[in-house]
Amino acid sequence: MEKTILIGGAAGLGSAVTSHFIGKLFCSLGYYVFNYRDYPSLIKGGHNFNILKVSDKPVYSHEYHYDFILALDQKTIDIHKKDLKKGGCVYGAKETEPVVQKLQGPNILANDVLIGLLFKHFGVDLDVILNSAEKVFGKNADLIKKAIQEGYQLGCEKEKLKISKSNYFISGTEAIGIGAIAAGLDVYLAYPMTPASPVLHFLAKRQLENNILVFQPENEIAVINAALGASFAGAKAMVGTSGGGFALMTEGLSLAAMTELPLVIYLGQRPAPATGLATHTGQGDLKFALNAGHGEFLRVVLSPGDAREAITRTEEAFYLSNKYRVPVIFLSDKHLAESNYTFNEIKKSALPNERFILENPPQDYKSYKITANGVSPRAVPGQGPVVRANSYEHNEYGFTIEDEDFAVKMQDKRFKKLDFLKKEITKLNPVSVYGRGSNLLISYGSTKGAILDALPKIKNFRFLQISYLKPLPAEIISREIKKSKKVILVENGVKGSLADVIKQETGLTVKYKILKYDGRPFTPEFLIDKLKKI
Amino acid sequence: MKPPTSAKATAGKEELGTKEEKTWCPGCPNSGILNSVKVALSELVTEGKLNIKNTALVTGIGCHGKIYDYLNLNGFNGLHGRVLPVCLGMKLGNPDLTVLGFGGDGDTFDEGVSHFVHACRYNADITMMVHTNQVFALTTGQATAVTEKGFIDGSTPLGQGEKPINSIVLALELGATFVARGYALQGPHLKTLIKKAILHKGFSFIDILQPCIVYHKHSMPYLNKNVYKIEETHDVGNLNQALEKAREWDYSYEKDTKVPIGIFYETARPTFESQWPQLRTPWHTIRRKIDWPKITREFL
Repeated sequence: MEKTILIGGAAGLGSAVTSHFIGKLFCSLGYYVFNYRDYPSLIKGGHNFNILKVSDKPVYSHEYHYDFILALDQKTIDIHKKDLKKGGCVYGAKETEPVVQKLQGPNILANDVLIGLLFKHFGVDLDVILNSAEKVFGKNADLIKKAIQEGYQLGCEKEKLKISKSNYFISGTEAIGIGAIAAGLDVYLAYPMTPASPVLHFLAKRQLENNILVFQPENEIAVINAALGASFAGAKAMVGTSGGGFALMTEGLSLAAMTELPLVIYLGQRPAPATGLATHTGQGDLKFALNAGHGEFLRVVLSPGDAREAITRTEEAFYLSNKYRVPVIFLSDKHLAESNYTFNEIKKSALPNERFILENPPQDYKSYKITANGVSPRAVPGQGPVVRANSYEHNEYGFTIEDEDFAVKMQDKRFKKLDFLKKEITKLNPVSVYGRGSNLLISYGSTKGAILDALPKIKNFRFLQISYLKPLPAEIISREIKKSKKVILVENGVKGSLADVIKQETGLTVKYKILKYDGRPFTPEFLIDKLKKI
Repeated sequence: MKPPTSAKATAGKEELGTKEEKTWCPGCPNSGILNSVKVALSELVTEGKLNIKNTALVTGIGCHGKIYDYLNLNGFNGLHGRVLPVCLGMKLGNPDLTVLGFGGDGDTFDEGVSHFVHACRYNADITMMVHTNQVFALTTGQATAVTEKGFIDGSTPLGQGEKPINSIVLALELGATFVARGYALQGPHLKTLIKKAILHKGFSFIDILQPCIVYHKHSMPYLNKNVYKIEETHDVGNLNQALEKAREWDYSYEKDTKVPIGIFYETARPTFESQWPQLRTPWHTIRRKIDWPKITREFL
């Protein structure tokens, strides 16, 4: 079984909530759902839509041909009807308006009529739907339940779904949130910016039950400096932003490196320059993430390919940042953040959520002690010895220095960590290879979904997913490229930055690029079509 | 390099110092501020009102920032203009810390003015001491937001065009709960202010006049002549009286005007930290056990 459902309407009419409800219900019946969300930067009006791809097999992407169009306004029908599959159904005002009038309820009930109609088609028990509605909308959602019931009566059963064990339905945002909690997050700081704000909301809402602290300071500069203050004081700190906010944080990023204070930075990309396409997706900040900040310093940049990876990669970000006292940038994008994925299980990483803080620091403690691996054992204020962090070049105690010898020693000390980091990262599956074939697709981040779904439909292709962009696992990448005929980069960007990064690190040229920079994510169909032309 | 002595439960004035070479200009009033801070901290420790192990300072960049190297305290020498966010973060990271911020007037009211605005609103329990010398001294004396109109320097050869920010008025208007001014050359008085500011629960701001003897030479003789201690009759709980007092001097030097020093205003308001019931103990002392099924239940 594979069905694609579009739910659309002006902002505020409920398409996001309804699509999530439908997706989650299918998941609870054992189906796999990918939920893509497309919306403009406005609060009321415009045209929002969600595309749900529902399947009895794992699915990681959407398409633009629909079996169902659930319309909350006429515009939805006008825009999308051309993409209705043969035999597809359109449900809209014709069905919902009489019910809303009959119930004398608010227009928002149209959503519930559509839910009833849809699930009747699949022969799902009414009680199952109503129970689900109670869970989401509360026990007193009588009107909602009535509207679902009315919609259900309007519909007719065309198929009977086979029901199996419930799956997990989770967005990239939620995955980052629970990954951070699992990693032992203490303090999350962020200034609102799409598409990173949902992590702020997710964690803020759950702060009491998880004993964490969430705060929105006055701007991104305050965010990163306050996070470093919290980190200095001994908290596990994380910040979240998108490109514009990250630009404001870059001086602080350099400070994180100089002070060697652990910090995880969630960078949710969207198309730029400047404000760009605020509510859409893109991967144009790769080189920015790799190079941001004045001076030469170590950082880790990693990127998850789906929500399940987002959990464990977030945990890895905390682990590496705290163990090696380096800033870690968790690079993602709107497509991953705001899409829902389905998995039959979600696991946390096997890494411990250690703090890497000395239990009993010695009296003669040196905040920047030079050690074999460059990592100075960390103490925090309040433990006894004086603890220092200094943005100026400093000696082992953290006092400001200007002499040539120590300047070199400290630069070398900080870079000494690189070899150890590299070794550690090889244990964390820094790249993954999918499929068989002599040709190679390469990408990082959220493009994984469309590529995985396209892979069975294209002949003779492997897919190399790169999850660690810094330090880049250059040897494995070289090996994969060298044994391939055609090598093709897939990236949501204008220039295909990853090809440049690979060239710089391996000397190898990625000859072909499939690029998409309209603010929308790839679909398998788009990829297959482009591949035919290469 | 000799190891510094650690900050102990008791802290004599000597123990609060370091062996680092002082690189302030000879005669710079910053040394007076350093001394007042040391005495204030030492006395608070002796009086049992301060745990020096749990005290941390934050500095910005500029002449004032050198105090980081001269105090044997937990310290964070941060970026220019970003003292207050670091202070705030420290309180969020460990509410038990007594946090002392040191900034310059350029640092605080040019580069970092947005943070000052919000620090006054937030009312976190931190003490912010601004070394007001009315120039960017370390970069050879350019005008700051607190420099008087008409001041001529390398970047303003035609004369500084704007009126200075009156930081006392600014702090009062923005809701700071402890607002005072000290003079670097009146050590015992400044020391008393610092002690009171540290003991105040909430955001304490002390504007410390620190006349630059190289790039703003006219201020020291002026201040020596015109500084006076706020009368005991001044009602520190009265905001209007505080504003009136704050407007007596506008940071300019055209004609002799009396410059009040002392506490302008003090009031009680819930602290920033108190809005989070979960912010009770230092995070680093918490061992987190992760209940994975509980965290993930909502996605099933």
